[in-house]
Amino acid sequence: MSNADFLSIAGAGVETALRAGADAAEAFVTSGTSIEIDVRDGEVDTIKSAAEKGLGLRVLRGRRTGFSYTTDLSPRGLAAVAQRAVANAGLTAADEFTRLPEAAPGYPEVDVFDPALPGKQIEEKIGLARRMEAAARAYDPRVTIVESATYQDGTVEVGLVNSNGVSAYYQGSVCGLSIALTAREKDDHQTGFAMDFRLRFAELEPEAVGREAAARAVRMLGAQPQKGLEAPVVFDPFVMVSLLGVLAPALTAEAVQKGRSLFAGRVGQRVASELVTIVDDGTLAGGVRSAPFDGEGVPSSRSVLIEKGYLRGYLHNTYTAAKDGVVSTGNGVRASFKGGPEVGPTNFYLEPGDKSPAEIIGEISSGLYVGEVLGMHTANPISGDFSVGATGFWIEQGKMSYPVRGLAIAGNIRELLDAVDAVGRDLRFFGGKGAPTVRVRKLAVSG
Amino acid sequence: MIDKELLKETLAAALACGGDFAEVFVESRQVTGIGLEGGKVERMQSGAEAGAGVRVLAGEATAYAHTNDLSRDGLLRAARIAARALDQGLKKYITLDLTTLRPPVSFAVQQPPETVPAARKAEMVMAADQSARAVDEAVIKQVMVGYGDLVQDVVIANSAGVHVEDRRVRTRVVVNAVAAANGVMQTGTEAAAGVMGFELCERHDPAEMGAVAARRAKALLTAKPAPSGRMPVVLAGTAGGTMVHEACGHGLEADLVQKGLSVYGGKLGQEVAAPSVTVEDDPTLPGRYGSYAFDDEGTPARPVTLIKNGVLVDYLYDRLSATKDKRESNGHGRRESYHHKPLPRMGNTYIAAGRDDPEEIIREAGEGLLVRKMGGGQVNTTTGDFVFEVAEGYLIRDGEIGPMVRGATLTGNGPEVLRRVSMVGGDLGFTIGTCGKDGQGVPVSDAQPTMLLGRRGEDAPIVVGGTQATGADRASRAVEALDPWGPEFRLRRIRRL
Repeated sequence: MSNADFLSIAGAGVETALRAGADAAEAFVTSGTSIEIDVRDGEVDTIKSAAEKGLGLRVLRGRRTGFSYTTDLSPRGLAAVAQRAVANAGLTAADEFTRLPEAAPGYPEVDVFDPALPGKQIEEKIGLARRMEAAARAYDPRVTIVESATYQDGTVEVGLVNSNGVSAYYQGSVCGLSIALTAREKDDHQTGFAMDFRLRFAELEPEAVGREAAARAVRMLGAQPQKGLEAPVVFDPFVMVSLLGVLAPALTAEAVQKGRSLFAGRVGQRVASELVTIVDDGTLAGGVRSAPFDGEGVPSSRSVLIEKGYLRGYLHNTYTAAKDGVVSTGNGVRASFKGGPEVGPTNFYLEPGDKSPAEIIGEISSGLYVGEVLGMHTANPISGDFSVGATGFWIEQGKMSYPVRGLAIAGNIRELLDAVDAVGRDLRFFGGKGAPTVRVRKLAVSG
Repeated sequence: MIDKELLKETLAAALACGGDFAEVFVESRQVTGIGLEGGKVERMQSGAEAGAGVRVLAGEATAYAHTNDLSRDGLLRAARIAARALDQGLKKYITLDLTTLRPPVSFAVQQPPETVPAARKAEMVMAADQSARAVDEAVIKQVMVGYGDLVQDVVIANSAGVHVEDRRVRTRVVVNAVAAANGVMQTGTEAAAGVMGFELCERHDPAEMGAVAARRAKALLTAKPAPSGRMPVVLAGTAGGTMVHEACGHGLEADLVQKGLSVYGGKLGQEVAAPSVTVEDDPTLPGRYGSYAFDDEGTPARPVTLIKNGVLVDYLYDRLSATKDKRESNGHGRRESYHHKPLPRMGNTYIAAGRDDPEEIIREAGEGLLVRKMGGGQVNTTTGDFVFEVAEGYLIRDGEIGPMVRGATLTGNGPEVLRRVSMVGGDLGFTIGTCGKDGQGVPVSDAQPTMLLGRRGEDAPIVVGGTQATGADRASRAVEALDPWGPEFRLRRIRRL
């Protein structure tokens, strides 16, 4: 579809809703194509291609909101979705802060589309997955099973129109590689995983991704159980990113306003070690979650949430901003056209420090390097408590001395941030979240 | 939804460039989602989605194309994309007959979601909120209630001549209560869901569920942190089947076995668990959350015994993995939606009831941990290492149930734990969840009777971890979205509703 077609469908959605009895309406339309290629043993295992479009309609009746979505963009489909959305609005509670955003004077220039991507042939994409798999196998003969070596990309067009005069469109793309494999030595099996998602096809480095996954598996061969104790703990960037995933909801104004954030009422206070600065940036150059505007047409922005340990603010959408009397930070994100704009992160990361990972480890006489955790999705984002299975390395005299498995680490994310005593300069992104290597003074490790 | 002639034409186009097998999966789904928080119905959502996926198999390779353009042009375009992706350079013309299969079971829906006014659904959500708050106005600080229902109509046709039309109806209610006092915050969750309509709310009264969730959150406020270390663990019959799901369920999925990614690979006929352990997966059980009449490849559902008296006897198969093992699918090819190719998946997985008395099991444990309710979990199928959280746990002291503790997480190794099951009770309780694998979430249920893992005075197979974590479930939105771009999308895990 063209830009004009897009906005005309969204506009028709808004018109239909107003005719169906809505006082205000917003249509969010997306159309996308994607491809995913799995390679095993050098052969194509699966090719999956997709074409998808849909419309999400949010309507207001007075101060009540209703939402509905459809994949049928014909006039009949639009009439049905409008009727459902308007009916839904009759059943929600009225809320004085409910509103749609006003038209913005302009949107930031954000590079979110790789014009080279549509011209790439499928053979070239298969080739990247093959090269990644080959590099993983070449890394070490003990890499015996490649579970999946995947290339994927997607392009999406997003159009948003509301009855306050917002009318906005962009085209975005993303591409990436991921690999999961197993290394084996006698009866010992260890798994390794690596991924890299980029805006630009030309920036993908298949060999590096393959080697990283292989290294992660091979280094764990021979891992032994370890006795529990309290010790300094170093988190791999990949593990730190999953901890940030527990933290992100608590930094949304929605969680704060509803009394389920551990950061409620603490703006201006010290909430973490001075080494900790946490940023959300919807305009980040090359960020896979960057976009000119969010899921309700508000310009994207950069928000410093925690600055050198001090809480500076929260992420907002239009509703939470109205409630707090502030301006939306452009964090009204949508998972797809099938949901309304919730408050959520875009590119969310812990700013890098100045130490190398080797220095961070080198300063420990006895401690744990956590390379992988199991069960982070069970952490509690409300209290910040987590208790997860961990594997990694035991550190002795500043060196990773031997691999360990079957450990459990537990703590609270707030206390963990407080106890950070080193932050690496090796910031890495895994999808929309990024972190460097991080060390905490002390954490309970059970074995 | 789509007539047989167009299905045949689509299958022919899918095989036009060669290939061994083609399939069309057409789906239309209507959903309702209600979200309450802060005492108010905040979200009232409904949606209509339709789409189709065309799959072509050639040798070991799969091509899959999906679209939500269900016109003749749209279906044929998807078929041609799938055909060309695996172009064998062959010209193949097929003619086929489609035979409509009859379902092996039918799940009667007493109150279909579309016949129940949305206002009545909203009332249930509000009732859950009110009864949760009534438990203790002073300490229950927040209540979140989610209601969701779904009607999914599918048409499946394949080049083997199978034609299936099926309607799946699912309903669920989740209540999450947050209690806080003296600087401590704890959560309690209660969920019910099944392959049924609004009658779910009669079998599981949302008001009662709200009270249970709130009482659990409140009790956790004064619970002591769990001890850590190795100790005998009793999993109560009410605890749910997270352990069986993680400790062996995923490892018995045939695709993982064939890829060499399961500790249970090559062990058919071998003893992999204590003789008291029998594991089954039965999607034909009426009304459970993981029930279905046909799987998502149109294979009629059937119960499958996986481990019999400790001996591994079968794996869970879809069509592709069955072909690789030169056998028939056993009806466990499932997919989240038309966006995905099917994979071998669990349905209703359980450890069969044994003969021991649950009270005797607790006495026998001596000193240890009793788990009354499990939370979510995760497994590494290659090593068998798993972890799951304890949502409600108690100390066992001198063979008696002691005080409640919070924050326990259990880690262990699947095969080792199953071999060290020392007693199996006669009770069996199901819990529900959304099982994630390769970025696809499907509804499942699982169960086990009261069991003793390890024995008094022995080195226990389970490590209890955690000094201060809560181990409680998180709130679950009525409309879920998995994040396929996130770093965890390859994990096999279960998220409790």
